[in-house]
Amino acid sequence: MKLTESQIDELFKFTRKHYVYHYDVQSELVDHLANDIEEIWVSQPHLSFQEACEKSFKKFGIFGFMDVIEAKQKQMSKRYRNIMWRFFKEWFTLPKVTTTIILFLSILFFLKIQFSEYILLGTLFVFVVFDFINQFRNRKTQKQKKEKIFLLETMIGETKGGFTGVAVINLFNFVNLSDINFSSLEIHWCIIVSLTATLFCVLFCVIHYIIPQKAEELLEETYPEYKLAKSL
Amino acid sequence: MRSQKLFKGSLQTIILRLLENNDKMYGYEITQKVKELTKGELQITEGALYPALHKLEADGLLDVEVSKVENRLRKYYKLTESGSKETVNKLAEMEDFLRTMQHLVNPKFSL
Repeated sequence: MKLTESQIDELFKFTRKHYVYHYDVQSELVDHLANDIEEIWVSQPHLSFQEACEKSFKKFGIFGFMDVIEAKQKQMSKRYRNIMWRFFKEWFTLPKVTTTIILFLSILFFLKIQFSEYILLGTLFVFVVFDFINQFRNRKTQKQKKEKIFLLETMIGETKGGFTGVAVINLFNFVNLSDINFSSLEIHWCIIVSLTATLFCVLFCVIHYIIPQKAEELLEETYPEYKLAKSL
Repeated sequence: MRSQKLFKGSLQTIILRLLENNDKMYGYEITQKVKELTKGELQITEGALYPALHKLEADGLLDVEVSKVENRLRKYYKLTESGSKETVNKLAEMEDFLRTMQHLVNPKFSL
């Protein structure tokens, strides 16, 4: 006996009920459960769909789908780090390296201006506030729109949000930094500060703009089922 | 059914070996194949199979392919080029291990 379309939908609900929220993990588990239920029905045709489903789920052990979710998260984190590194590296090879050098030199010269620390702090503050507003708006529209969310998609969004969070928390550290008069610092200290700031800016740009902009493309590259799932 | 603990560490090798012999396989098919080949002596638990498959995929040893079968999506796993090389290494490792175990369990004393 084969499973019907509505029973497949039930299985998707079943995975959600057991804390599997991402479509890529759900679809694999649904296929597994469906195959197993069909097999169970061969030997025990009297079992109801619910009973067969529970019987199949028990085979996953006491932790249910948790081990599967954890392994998938680890796999995707690795994938995300690789993607991040791929785009980060681009800024240190031609032609983008020229932008990085210009950015580094600009920060270096900027630090030499008097009261640069206050301008820096002010800019950062304005930026973080705008970013917060933007993210709040995006989250609202995203929640309304999407049904099939892929794990990598969530990671792209969460890392982006996490970066702003880190910036907010560190805002107070930056306030403390403003006690330092950068313009009177020795040149080697200015170089270290500029270099750190440049690396931070590049990473910010990659996580915040480049990866989210290319999200669709990256999802298609990562998930062979992405297009197929969207058309279902 | 034999003790699961004994073959837990060999799960990745078993998966790689199966995929070497079959072009592509999906999760459920792997569990059934192991059951069939060992006449039910070994049964891969679902909670261990998928984490192992995802780990192998993350390490670049497996590639995936998805197609619509009946009314659902099916994810097939197949070996990548480095996966094929790793299979050879893992199998050699496994044979070494079996030989060592044989010596330990069944030592032949000689004068």
